[in-house]
Amino acid sequence: MFIEKLKEAVRKILPEVDVVIGYRQGFDPLHATPYFLDKPEQVDQLIWNPLCVQNLCSYIPFLKGKVGVIVKGCDSRAIVQYMQEKLITRENIKVIGVPCLRVISVKKVMAAINQQTVQEVTFEGDNIIVKIPEGPKTIPSADVAPRKCATCQLATPLQYDVLAGEAIQSNKPQDTFEETKEFEKLSLEERRAYWEKEFDRCIRCYACRNACPMCICQDKCIAESRDPHWTSQRANVTEKAMFHMIHGLHLAGRCISCEECERVCPMDIPVAKIKKKISMDLKELFGYEAGMNPDDTPPMYTFKVEEATIEEHEI
Amino acid sequence: MRVGVFICHCGNNIAGTVEVAKVAEAARMMPGVAFATTYMYTCSEPGQEEIKEAIKREKLDRVVVAACSPRMHEVTFRRTVEKTGLNRYFFEMANIREHCSWIGEDKELNTNKAIEAIKLAVEKAKQNKPLFPAKFKINKRVLVIGGGVAGMQAALDCADGGLDVVLVEKSPSVGGMMARLDKTFPTVDCSICILGPKMVDVSQHEKINLYAYSEIEEIKGYVGNYQIKIRKKATYVDWSKCTGCGACIEKCPSRNAFDYFNFGVAPARAINIPFPQAIPKKAKIDAQFCRQFIKGKCGVCAKFCPVGAINYEMKDEIVTEDVGAIIVASGYGLIDLDKLPEYGGGRYPDVISGIQYERILNASGPTSGHIERPSDHAEPKTIVFVSCAGSRDKSIGIPYCSNFCCMYIAKQAILTKDHIPDSRSYVFYMDIRSPGKGYDEFTRRAQEEYGVQYIRGRVSRIYPKGKKMIVKGADTLLGTQVEIEADLVVLATAVTATTDARTLAEKLHISYDPHGFYVESHPKLRPVETNTSGVFLAGACQGPKDIPASVGQGSAAAAKVLSIFSKDTLESDPQIARVNTNICVGCRKCIGTCPFGAIEEQQLRDGRIIANVIETVCAGCGICNSTCPCGAIQLQHFTDNQLLAEVNALCLT
Amino acid sequence: MSYLAGKELRIVGFLCNWCSYGGADTAGVGRFKQPTDLRIIRVPCSGRVNPLFVVKALLNGADGVLVSGCHPRDCHYSDGNFYARRRLEMLKRLLPFLGIDERRFHYTWVSASEGARWKNVVTDFTKAIHELGPFHQKEEKTECS
Repeated sequence: MFIEKLKEAVRKILPEVDVVIGYRQGFDPLHATPYFLDKPEQVDQLIWNPLCVQNLCSYIPFLKGKVGVIVKGCDSRAIVQYMQEKLITRENIKVIGVPCLRVISVKKVMAAINQQTVQEVTFEGDNIIVKIPEGPKTIPSADVAPRKCATCQLATPLQYDVLAGEAIQSNKPQDTFEETKEFEKLSLEERRAYWEKEFDRCIRCYACRNACPMCICQDKCIAESRDPHWTSQRANVTEKAMFHMIHGLHLAGRCISCEECERVCPMDIPVAKIKKKISMDLKELFGYEAGMNPDDTPPMYTFKVEEATIEEHEI
Repeated sequence: MRVGVFICHCGNNIAGTVEVAKVAEAARMMPGVAFATTYMYTCSEPGQEEIKEAIKREKLDRVVVAACSPRMHEVTFRRTVEKTGLNRYFFEMANIREHCSWIGEDKELNTNKAIEAIKLAVEKAKQNKPLFPAKFKINKRVLVIGGGVAGMQAALDCADGGLDVVLVEKSPSVGGMMARLDKTFPTVDCSICILGPKMVDVSQHEKINLYAYSEIEEIKGYVGNYQIKIRKKATYVDWSKCTGCGACIEKCPSRNAFDYFNFGVAPARAINIPFPQAIPKKAKIDAQFCRQFIKGKCGVCAKFCPVGAINYEMKDEIVTEDVGAIIVASGYGLIDLDKLPEYGGGRYPDVISGIQYERILNASGPTSGHIERPSDHAEPKTIVFVSCAGSRDKSIGIPYCSNFCCMYIAKQAILTKDHIPDSRSYVFYMDIRSPGKGYDEFTRRAQEEYGVQYIRGRVSRIYPKGKKMIVKGADTLLGTQVEIEADLVVLATAVTATTDARTLAEKLHISYDPHGFYVESHPKLRPVETNTSGVFLAGACQGPKDIPASVGQGSAAAAKVLSIFSKDTLESDPQIARVNTNICVGCRKCIGTCPFGAIEEQQLRDGRIIANVIETVCAGCGICNSTCPCGAIQLQHFTDNQLLAEVNALCLT
Repeated sequence: MSYLAGKELRIVGFLCNWCSYGGADTAGVGRFKQPTDLRIIRVPCSGRVNPLFVVKALLNGADGVLVSGCHPRDCHYSDGNFYARRRLEMLKRLLPFLGIDERRFHYTWVSASEGARWKNVVTDFTKAIHELGPFHQKEEKTECS
């Protein structure tokens, strides 16, 4: 069993670190929840399955001492990005890598079962079987995976100190930003109307920000501050849009496309869409992808005297 | 908060196209404004008195003056405000002249624009915080870049004023363009005879440290404390041994080197001393022409040097000098003849530039002062001078006048007549520009006493015919075509910025105009200052200039340096970045983007790492401010909240 | 001011103190006539212009935003406009994604000596914004709660 390999890896690392962050069962069988453990007897509580969706790296920059963390391929880009931005001391982090081909979106499962109570969840082959009051329902995992999994290239994490299990290769096609390009085919008016509608739903709960591994300001976020006073607390769409622009622009060249922001949004606002667009542009402009190479510098924090890809604009 | 708004009529400059009374009325309605008035000339003494009185009478704590550009009078009004005890940064200025009354034609729109400019300033002022300058020590040494007449004058004046001077000259000798001239107008003094003593003074002055054949590699720091890296180019001759005897030059077998000093009038040796009065009088090897370097064997100069000064292994050397101010006197260049295809583009040996002719006239030049034409060394009898060869010609991107060509052509024509009494000189000109003291009399003398024939018109073409050059042009006064068979044609080629002017400006952080000439701080009132404090301009690097103007600027720049060095400390600008330690999350992004290395990590007692601004190093650009995600680092006087107040004033209406 | 609505549109300019603000002064001194719509905010350097200021202005009522700094290599602070160029280029590409016509935002370089160029920038940009028309309908600014 894979979980045994994982527990073994955690047991081995535990004496070297102050805390290990993993997953355990949440409030129902469909939810996994982050678990901080520092005693060997806690290791048995650990779980591993495609519902372990959270990016546990988000905690690392705020923890002191030595930290062990369970990291999927997608999550590992956060580690790389922290290294680029010198937000962590890599030696203080023990990365327990887990190979992963696909996780499962709780929201998509809940939609597929019409929001009924989940009694049991099992996995069989490439299916998830959800037991609901009317009986077990088998859903192909691919149908309820987050969209990031469809183009995931990182089946094995970029960074790890120990790997639970074997390294595997991705079997997915490269991301070609099809969705972004498709959206750009809409007229300007349609796009504006789209965002006005989406942003208007925002309740400014800041869940997207809080879940974001790169939102390192957290409680110092300028969306809530009066000095500087970038946004007011007025509940209009302008202020909401302003918050999302702050979030988006602060992540320009830093967003690792983990889509945690979108996963946690209680209003289902496609907040990752803006970040994806910026990522696409920055890849085109500077050949840069966040969280891939620890030696890179995020493109907004550097420059070239001659920018081959930026032309002067005519009015 | 009690804001006072003072609206200036500026005579009719503002009041002519802006209804100032209406503006004042609108200002009174703005939130926070306690007082608003208009005044004829706010910058005048009574105007400033009125501000001071109003501050006291109305108990104002913020002041907005709506007048000209803050680049003009911000300092004036800050001082006014400060005299009443208010912090000078409680002052804001609304530009309703350059940005409003002078550019808009519609009075209603102008008035509205002025009102909004004031609204912007009022909102900003309400956000302003008191700021206090710190004091820092200054290094009372000065760097002078360029050893032409302007740079030498500046160096000598500074040195006589007691300052240590570092003088960096690109070529192997000081003297610049003036050292190449035969005589100077309008006195027809021998150029080197009047310049020579200055050159000697420079070399002998104990306060002047001359780096000849050296260039500026890097400039770091700020007014009062610059660190300069100077590249001493390899001369392949140990100057501490070289006596300037010239034995090496005599024996050098590479006789086809380009003579930079003589602008290629005749070839030079690969090892050379530019001219007899050179300072320092030391030899250097032009490696690209030297057999030792090209073929790897020769060694003749090393063999004949009586003091063993030749060193083929010599490398460029970088030296560091710390100074407190910089005077830039890097001079000018001239366009190449190939920019002028209609005048032969440099293909005809007997069509030469004015500076080349100057060398031919010069007794220490390649012809020993005998006028002979380059093609066959014959004495020319008919000489045509063409003024504005490239100057005032938009088609080649030089719309400006080169300033001194009219005068040197007159001089050269006079000298030609002196040298060859039976010669005839013609001058094609567009306008005769001779506005200096004694200048117009001089050009008249050329015409009336020396019989130089002036033809008003442009030369359209120059081409060879046998041994002659045919000069075709128009005589616009007679309305005819003119064709002159000349033995020699002298083109007054346009003055340009030096080829490396832009690179140097970038090292200095000073601006240059589209032609590469350096931009002064104010065209009328701050002609030798730049917008970078501590950097001053002298001579033709700022624009074409003749000798007296260059010397005057050299002295002026020196006076500016002496005046800032008259104090031991300078006040630092408090408009720099400051870190709010409570907010900073220690993400270090500001550290990486600061162009000046002004931000360092600091560990707080609780172990948190945060950013810390080194006050004396911060130049106040605000890149860190726009980089900081949490707004912890704020550029004082241009904080996020101050700029947001301005944006909101404009947009949230 | 609303009483001039119709005649003017709201154009906000962020100008660096050393080059473009000076260029605007030079244009004024030269009496180069320009449209009056533009309102100028003086900043020390184009590198100071956080793209969020542009967003803030556009979201809150501006019909067009102009950022102008020193020409590349000519920055008073040596690198400020290099950062500005990258960040503003990113923004310019992002705006249409949000439904904001990219022509409503322009960034350029004007030196202190280029009065005539400044006049052209202002004239052309103002013209372009007038061709696009107002960005905000007034009723849109009502608050939701």
